[in-house]
Amino acid sequence: MTAILALIVIFPLLGFLILSVFGGRLPRHIIPWIGAGSAGISALLTIILGISFLTSSSPGGVVVATLWQWINTGGLTASIALRLDALSLVFIFVITFIGFLIHVYSVEFMADDEGYSRFFSYMNLFVFSMLILVLADNLLLLYLGWEGVGLCSYLLIGFWYREPANGYAARKAFIITRIGDTAMIIGLFLLFLHLHTLNINELMQQATLNWEPGSSLATWAALLLLGGALGKSAQLPLQTWLPDAMAGPSPVSALIHAATMVTAGVYLIARTHVLFSLAPAVQATVAVIGALTLLLAGFSALTQHDLKRALAYSTVSQIGYMFLALGVGAWSAGIFHFMVHAFFKALLFLAAGVIIVVLNEEHDIFKMGGLRKKIPGVFWTFLIGAASLAALPLVTAGFYSKDQILWYAWSAGNGGPWLWLAGITGAFLTSLYTFRLVFIVFFGKTGTEPTKLPGRFMVIPMVILAAFSLVAGFIELPHSMGHLQLFSGFMSAVLPGVVMANETIPELLFQAVATVISLAGICLAYLIYLKRPALADAINHSRISRFFCDGWGFDRVYDTLFVKPIVWLAEIDKNDFTDIFNTAIASVVIIFNRALNLTQNGKLRWYVMGLALGIVFILSILMNL
Amino acid sequence: MVREDFICLTPLMIIAGAPVLMMLVVAVIRSYKVIYGLSLSGFILAFLSIFFLLPVIPHATGQLFIFDGFTILFFVIIILACLLITILSDGYLVYQESEKEEYFIILYTSALGALVLAAASNFVTLFLGLEMLSISLYVLIAYRRSRDNSIEAAVKYLILASGASGFLLFGMGLIYVDTGSLEFTKIVMALQSSGFSSPLLLTGFSMMVVGIGFKLALVPFHMWTPDVYHGAPVPVATFIATVSKGAVIAVLLRFFYAIEGFRNHNFILLITVVSILSMFIGNLLAIRQQNLKRILAYSSISNMGYLVITLLIGTKGGIDAAVFYIASYIITTIGAFGVITLLSDRDNEAEKLKSYTGLFWKRPWVAIVLTLTMLSLAGIPITSGFLAKFYVILEGLNAGLLVLVISLIINSVIGLYYYLRVVTILFSPPNDVKFPAISPAGRLVLFIVTLGILWLGIFPEWFFNLIARF
Repeated sequence: MTAILALIVIFPLLGFLILSVFGGRLPRHIIPWIGAGSAGISALLTIILGISFLTSSSPGGVVVATLWQWINTGGLTASIALRLDALSLVFIFVITFIGFLIHVYSVEFMADDEGYSRFFSYMNLFVFSMLILVLADNLLLLYLGWEGVGLCSYLLIGFWYREPANGYAARKAFIITRIGDTAMIIGLFLLFLHLHTLNINELMQQATLNWEPGSSLATWAALLLLGGALGKSAQLPLQTWLPDAMAGPSPVSALIHAATMVTAGVYLIARTHVLFSLAPAVQATVAVIGALTLLLAGFSALTQHDLKRALAYSTVSQIGYMFLALGVGAWSAGIFHFMVHAFFKALLFLAAGVIIVVLNEEHDIFKMGGLRKKIPGVFWTFLIGAASLAALPLVTAGFYSKDQILWYAWSAGNGGPWLWLAGITGAFLTSLYTFRLVFIVFFGKTGTEPTKLPGRFMVIPMVILAAFSLVAGFIELPHSMGHLQLFSGFMSAVLPGVVMANETIPELLFQAVATVISLAGICLAYLIYLKRPALADAINHSRISRFFCDGWGFDRVYDTLFVKPIVWLAEIDKNDFTDIFNTAIASVVIIFNRALNLTQNGKLRWYVMGLALGIVFILSILMNL
Repeated sequence: MVREDFICLTPLMIIAGAPVLMMLVVAVIRSYKVIYGLSLSGFILAFLSIFFLLPVIPHATGQLFIFDGFTILFFVIIILACLLITILSDGYLVYQESEKEEYFIILYTSALGALVLAAASNFVTLFLGLEMLSISLYVLIAYRRSRDNSIEAAVKYLILASGASGFLLFGMGLIYVDTGSLEFTKIVMALQSSGFSSPLLLTGFSMMVVGIGFKLALVPFHMWTPDVYHGAPVPVATFIATVSKGAVIAVLLRFFYAIEGFRNHNFILLITVVSILSMFIGNLLAIRQQNLKRILAYSSISNMGYLVITLLIGTKGGIDAAVFYIASYIITTIGAFGVITLLSDRDNEAEKLKSYTGLFWKRPWVAIVLTLTMLSLAGIPITSGFLAKFYVILEGLNAGLLVLVISLIINSVIGLYYYLRVVTILFSPPNDVKFPAISPAGRLVLFIVTLGILWLGIFPEWFFNLIARF
């Protein structure tokens, strides 16, 4: 099994290396075989590995593949070692399987792009880095993967680099996540300084042994790691980069900015959950941040005009749910929602990509309409994804995962009515904004006419994802219906169970409320956006709507608070001491160069004189004159 | 003449005999192919004959030559360098219309001079070797006399080098007057009893410094370098930069370590000043240079500045560092000049930096070799140039030569600028300059050079084990 584990990681790396070295010279029809093929082999190996992992004698076991010693100096040892357990298995399954589907989709989506091989080499590099991130057995290697996915995110957001706005979006994403990364690396220093190891397993043991619950060191360490998670997962206050990141191609949005990379923060917190348990204050903060983010982003998603931006805010909001789950200690519920979300959100982005392509790069939903008849395949898959996102009861996976979070938000030990209220409001917003998109884009008056139809490479991955968006929920059924706990049982080897509050209200009641709320949202969307377009128009033009649409003005505030002062400071600091010093070195060198050049005038008599003066010079030194 | 003398002199005799044979052949049939084959096999034969020396060293033949491990090392370096230069010359001489054959004969006499220098243990052989080298070079520099700067460069070199030789000879005479001997060992004994006090002796040494400093192009005797490199045919410039300098370094190291000049504070001061000036002036002159041959000329000035630091170290480690440095410098320089040679055509030598714009996109492998040589000259890790500088710095610090080491480091930074400038030009968007195709033999040279640079840069212990066996 260790060999398979290593191979899963190696194939995407190989794909990246081949494509980046020979990409320009390979015939175009070979490129997708390498790009998507490497991801496909990884996905296949992951499924084989998953089956043998599930059927092995100790299902809660751990597989460690130590490839080589990376660093061994000054007490710091870090190996390139991959560690597979239930948590990382779920993640690598999502990464390779959904990753492969998105690669297949890209084969057609990017077919006419001049950067065909560049695209696949970045995508392969991303899959490799993300696998390293979730399989690393020490935090240093995890950080390598963490930075790797950040780099790929940057490269792919700015993939169409000829458009300056895309480059700006890429830089924004990179810099804002960088803020979180810096907090995280300081957190790693802190952990190493006090616990003398970065191996995750040892670290968790040492932390439990050495730190009291609530001690200030544990709090700081958890807080700093949380900083990293907030940046990567686009949570309050570092959420502003994700909507702009939609500048990248749609498959990138689906893979990196919906299914996998943005959930790295969720992974990090789940992976170091011991630390967060030792810092109850920070864990509570996680829940509050999650609740606030899901509301904030929900309102923003409700008012977007750009299809992909609406989905992006929805992603921020759904990751907020995951944070909420982690914050109340429902670890496995958070991971469950991650998996289900990966299916339906990837699906929605892929469908959005198709819509945008067939409408000739039209992003504005208000210029769309009536697409139900024109592209029925896309309509049905989008509808399934939307239903799952809106948590349509019983039939969709999203219902089961979200319901679990909502229930724990109230009844877990760390939960409470307020968190639940935020969650349920968010659920209402979710179904409202989701079906707002469905009704505007697919119903009503026909807007822009589609110019072409998607081919089978784009449709098949969407159909597979749609199937998973429906059935993936059945592996974990609530207590009130069937009480099937395949997922959380599987997770229990890695993540502790939920600590419940003393008195709990029957879960069925919550499900009833959630069902009503979800359906109410859909109905309201139907009433406003289909029946009363005038009202929708009025809402669009209201100031509050524009405020939400701009993401609550965070960009403006950050611009005034941070960007402008720093730019101003840099501007007036252009000629400070160090700069003068540096330019002075250059000028002095140039002056000497000019002066010395005069001596190289090519005149023999001058050279002879140099020889003669030279002997005088040597004599004077040697004879101590 | 005893048997050992004969064995020890074999390489010298082969190198001396080969041009005689070639002259006879030329007299009968003028066949370039035959002469080229002869000169290749002559060097290979000379190289193989070195293995017969191994059992009998150390051995001194009469008062003139000393054959020890140090000599052998330089023999190997010089002969291998000559072999590579011969192959490079072949590609270059294609464009020479007539009288190609004599080129190799003169190359042999200059190689003989270099070998004699490396084995010299007497002022007589020192001077003979140096003159053989110089006089051959006058001819070689002017060999493509139809080219613009060839004659000019040769005349400059002739006048300046004969002046320098005059100084050298005069200095030797003065030292002879003072010590009564021309043999290194006897001079050393005389110095041990009397010290460096006598003004006659010091004047003698000063004048010798002119001769040696001129050959090594140390400041203030450096001014000829760019003009001569520029005017000489590229393989000849390669020869001047590598073989000629290596041989002079060999005899300088031997003599200086024998008289223990590193204990005399006047010599320490002299070498410190010369070294620092060479580093700075060489690098500063190179910084805005647009001609690759001139860049390499200035680079050689500063590299010799780095190298003479090892004279002051005064330990076995110092000699090892020097040998490693010169080996690394020679292989790197052959690589850089080799690329210029192979890319030159009938009318133009590929010397203008501008013509290299975007070479990587047109001729990736050649550009990679040139990049590697530039990185090695700049001292970037995994190349031999990095370790060469590293050992000089290490041994220099052990010997307490703080000023020189700091100066070396500052100059490495300055040097980085113009070496990397070449690299950036190679990787810029391509221009429409066309370069000739490279022959298989030329590719072999570039391959060997690349291998050498990386091999010395990654497994230096191999080289040091080799040195330690002598």
